[in-house]
Amino acid sequence: MTEPRSPVSASIPQPPPVVVPPPSTDGAAVEMDPVEYTLRKRLPRKLPKRRNDVYVNMKTDFRAQLARCQKLLEGGGHREICVHGLGLAINRAINIALQLQASSQGALQLAANTSTVELVDDLEPEDPDEAGEPMTRTRNNSAIHIKVFYPDPQ
Amino acid sequence: MSSAKERMRNKKLKNQPSSVTYSSPGVGSGSSHCRNGGEGPSHGRGHDPSPARDRGSSHPIHGGGWVRGHQRDGKAYGQELPKAITASGFIKARAAEVTAMLKAVNKTTGSVHAFGVLPKHMRRRAMSHNTKRLPCRLREVANRMLEKSQKLGQKEKKPQSKTKSRKARRRHGNLLLDFNRRQRKNVWLETHIWHAKRFHMAKRWGYCLGERPTYKCYRACYRAMSSHCLLQDLSYHCCLELRGEEGLLLAALAQLTCKDSGPTFAAVASLSGRRQGSTLVYRAGQAPAQPLGPVLFLWRPRTQDSTHRQLWLWIHPTLKQDLLPELRAVCQCSEAVPPLPTLEEMPPAPAPPSQPPPGPAQAPALDTETKGPQPDGAKASKRKRSQGETETTGPPAKKVLGDGTRSPTTPVTWRSSTTGIVLSDLTMEIVRYRLIGPLSHSVLTETLEAATECDASSPSQQACFWWPEHCKDERNMSLHRKQADIFNLLKGVYSTAEVPSGSVLGLTVDDPRLTLPRIRGKAMPSIQQAQEVDEEEESRRELMLHGVPEGCSQSPLWERSVRDNVTDHKTPEQELNRMRSEVLVPGSRLQPLPQGRVPVLLVQQPGKQAGQEQASWGVGWDLLLPKAWGMAFWVPLVYRGVRVGGLNMALKHSQNKGAPHFPHDYPDCPAGKRFQEEQEEELLAKFKRRPPAKRTNYIKHGCLAPFRCPWQQLAEEWELIVREEAVTGGEEAKGGGSSETLAKLLVPKAGEMTSQVDVAFTILRNRKSLRLLSSWCRPTSSKGQRSQRQWAVPPLNPAVAASLLASNWRSLVWVRLSLLSKGQPELHAQVCVPAPEDLRRQRGQPSCSEPLEPLHTDHFRSKLKQLKKHRKAKPTSSSSSHKSDDKQSGSAPISTSTSTPGPDTSSAPTIHSTPGPPSLSAPTPLPSVTLPAPSLTPPSSSPTSDLILGLWPEPLPSVSSHCSRVTLGWVSQGDFSLVSGCGEALGLVSLPGLLHMLLGQPEDQRGLVLLRNPSSLQYRLAKVNIEV
Repeated sequence: MTEPRSPVSASIPQPPPVVVPPPSTDGAAVEMDPVEYTLRKRLPRKLPKRRNDVYVNMKTDFRAQLARCQKLLEGGGHREICVHGLGLAINRAINIALQLQASSQGALQLAANTSTVELVDDLEPEDPDEAGEPMTRTRNNSAIHIKVFYPDPQ
Repeated sequence: MSSAKERMRNKKLKNQPSSVTYSSPGVGSGSSHCRNGGEGPSHGRGHDPSPARDRGSSHPIHGGGWVRGHQRDGKAYGQELPKAITASGFIKARAAEVTAMLKAVNKTTGSVHAFGVLPKHMRRRAMSHNTKRLPCRLREVANRMLEKSQKLGQKEKKPQSKTKSRKARRRHGNLLLDFNRRQRKNVWLETHIWHAKRFHMAKRWGYCLGERPTYKCYRACYRAMSSHCLLQDLSYHCCLELRGEEGLLLAALAQLTCKDSGPTFAAVASLSGRRQGSTLVYRAGQAPAQPLGPVLFLWRPRTQDSTHRQLWLWIHPTLKQDLLPELRAVCQCSEAVPPLPTLEEMPPAPAPPSQPPPGPAQAPALDTETKGPQPDGAKASKRKRSQGETETTGPPAKKVLGDGTRSPTTPVTWRSSTTGIVLSDLTMEIVRYRLIGPLSHSVLTETLEAATECDASSPSQQACFWWPEHCKDERNMSLHRKQADIFNLLKGVYSTAEVPSGSVLGLTVDDPRLTLPRIRGKAMPSIQQAQEVDEEEESRRELMLHGVPEGCSQSPLWERSVRDNVTDHKTPEQELNRMRSEVLVPGSRLQPLPQGRVPVLLVQQPGKQAGQEQASWGVGWDLLLPKAWGMAFWVPLVYRGVRVGGLNMALKHSQNKGAPHFPHDYPDCPAGKRFQEEQEEELLAKFKRRPPAKRTNYIKHGCLAPFRCPWQQLAEEWELIVREEAVTGGEEAKGGGSSETLAKLLVPKAGEMTSQVDVAFTILRNRKSLRLLSSWCRPTSSKGQRSQRQWAVPPLNPAVAASLLASNWRSLVWVRLSLLSKGQPELHAQVCVPAPEDLRRQRGQPSCSEPLEPLHTDHFRSKLKQLKKHRKAKPTSSSSSHKSDDKQSGSAPISTSTSTPGPDTSSAPTIHSTPGPPSLSAPTPLPSVTLPAPSLTPPSSSPTSDLILGLWPEPLPSVSSHCSRVTLGWVSQGDFSLVSGCGEALGLVSLPGLLHMLLGQPEDQRGLVLLRNPSSLQYRLAKVNIEV
């Protein structure tokens, strides 16, 4: 851990409203009746966060997030930052990275990686006395991790 | 100068005999005496002529009287001398004068110090303390006076001298005695002294609790809650234990709960003991009516092939007095059991630790609390055994009988002869700490360490400790290892929210004082190294998905015998310090002692669950400990960088979570009612402490009840309004043949208006109805709707609304309000229905469009003034008729009864010039006229006593239609929310009112209300959220 204070800051990605229907369901909860269960999404798993990690969400103003990245690159003295986006926020993450590159007049380079993040949903039975144990199911969501960096002068 | 002289003269003249007269101007010979008089020996004043001149000029008439000094002008010497003098008479008169003079001369007047004799330039400051600084001739006198004054001082101090010296008072035994005396009324928690040094303490519910820290930490505590960890001592919550057959217990408890409002005691997840449950209890059999309050409950996991279960109910102390009788009634627990038999009656433990014969040693431990330092474990047990039956605790033992919520004499255990259920009161038996924040699990994993196993081979010399016995059974050990593994998995978790909500983990840990760090640090998750191991990752995933596996929720903490054993054999701090000093390498880890194994329970507390934004904010863990171990865990936790919060932070926690806080937000529960009364008294007292001119005039602000919320009246009024409108609207609808309205649908039901007159209001807790309302409150076109799509919610229309309303006429709904623009809602702010033009303006320019309340007139002010005048002029006159006549002519042309003074009715016409929703303007005058009819007709004396400037006297006029916007409800908690960055409030609104409002609002602006603080005229627009 490189940073001394408050790793869970306000920039933790909010769960973006996920539009994608769950592609994979756990064996236990294959056929769930929507009337009997309440779906409650847990927050995506948090990962250790360095100072130059930026988690993009859909709640904060776009310009503010862009400005934060620029500040990190210019004022913060970081040679590279990582922009992470999950689900709906992928678009925005790409947008931010491209904006950063455009405004730097080609000095910045991008390297994008995609991944799949496993998310957990809780299914709480409406009638808890009979329906049995609360269930969980997992589903996957796409994420993008864009490294924005100044190339090494060689 | 002259006035001082005058005073001196008066003083001297005081002692003159009455026979002497000085008035005659011309007693020449008499004046000869007077010339040098007045110079007391104690005053070393010089014979300066100047004052005499002053005197002569200022009192020219007194010429021949008692005049001091030489008279220059000789005016005093009378022109006419008597022709003859009778010697005897003359001498008698002179003799009287001489004695008077001698008397005056010898008497010291006032507080004359010995050094007063000295001229000013010779006086020194320290003379009064050190007589040696005085000249020799005065020393004796000064010494005498000093003695006298000291004696006087001692007399005053005498009662204080009974108390011992500070050193004696601080001696350990005496200190404990004093502590016991001080907790007679309000019991202390184990962390009391720690708190008392750092917190403003409040006496609540029979306990001394930390209200808020003395240092500034509001934001720091918020940050701790949202990003690290905040610690609270919740030991004041009461624990009730129920033991019995599972079926019988469930049947009994089913009478107390209601399925509609959420999970009950029978919820499968919590029944297995793997999850903690929470529910709302009602009076037995009254289910959706008469609620009592919320309960947290925890089932003990099933032991093999036994249907005998154990259940803990955790309740707020104010709830206990209501719930305990109900529980006894439903469980038919009528026999009070003396404490001893319950021990033998204990259910068979999975591994019954062989105990010293339980009777004598533990009998006192049941009712007494032997907290604080105790002698070394081995010695203590020996002594107890040797001394046998008698209570051996001498005066220096710290013990408190009973607790804050019951008297020491009441029994703590009841048994039912028919069902076999045993109900016992475990209040103050178990310490409960709450850690709030996403990193609370890392604090826990750093503080606690799973107990090291005891090698069973070593013949432990003391068989009285529970752990070595516990270790002998292999099953116990394997369970312990499993629990320890799971606990270690938590190290790799990044946020507490990743663990399923309500998970329970049992554990046995080492004494956390052994690993106390030398300096305070901040616990952080160690995530990277943990991720390397694949196997661990897999099991962690399992934990996240399915929670704590079956069986790992079991803990020896459930056993009373183990708890008592652990409590009795706590290593004192002193012993630990001695061990620390003997360690070879200073600061190295101590060897665990055989008695230092503590069973604990860890219970995950879910964070914010309702609503969509800020999910799982305020998540955390609860730590349950056996009593007497409070401080042993508290300090190590604090050393891991947690913040400690008081009662006000608990309130803020639930406020940010959007959850109602008990007892503040449960006005329909008896405890909530009591709380509201107390709060009103407190606020009123605070209001009255201000000087009258500096008080807010709430009448002028149109705030009827700034210190309490007349919920009942509100509910009744709204019922009346909606029904009334249904009648009138229904007739119109019949005539006009217009589309169906709420009114039309309600017409048949409006007839039964009078049937339910004295039905108490309730809070709507039916989850289905709440879910409906929640979906209606959102404007349909906003984002964030998609997630809710899976619910086939019927759109809001009058028919559905009427069906919802049919059973809930007098219901209130719990809502969260977030302000759209600026503003900070306060306690008891009004929630009002916006008028159509407000909404129109809001659509036009969302910024500067919020309406203002016109200033009301305070009719009581002039009345108060008159009363005051009357009281001054003729205190006994009864002025009521006069008063009311005045009022009538002035301001109340509407009211017809002569005895009703104007204000309550007169406020209506002035205010309704800007009516609320047009549909409501018709029925509103109705309640305002009918309700306060018997109001202010009392004989002269009573209104004078309870009339306070700026407050409406009882009874209140119509609360809903008092202001220009129709009141819907009030706010019970309001503040600027650091979570969402805007003002947020939680409050209750009337259900008929809410539905009425929603039906009248355009689709895209649905759920907008106005909010106005009691001491302000500015309305603010806010958004209603109902979260299920």
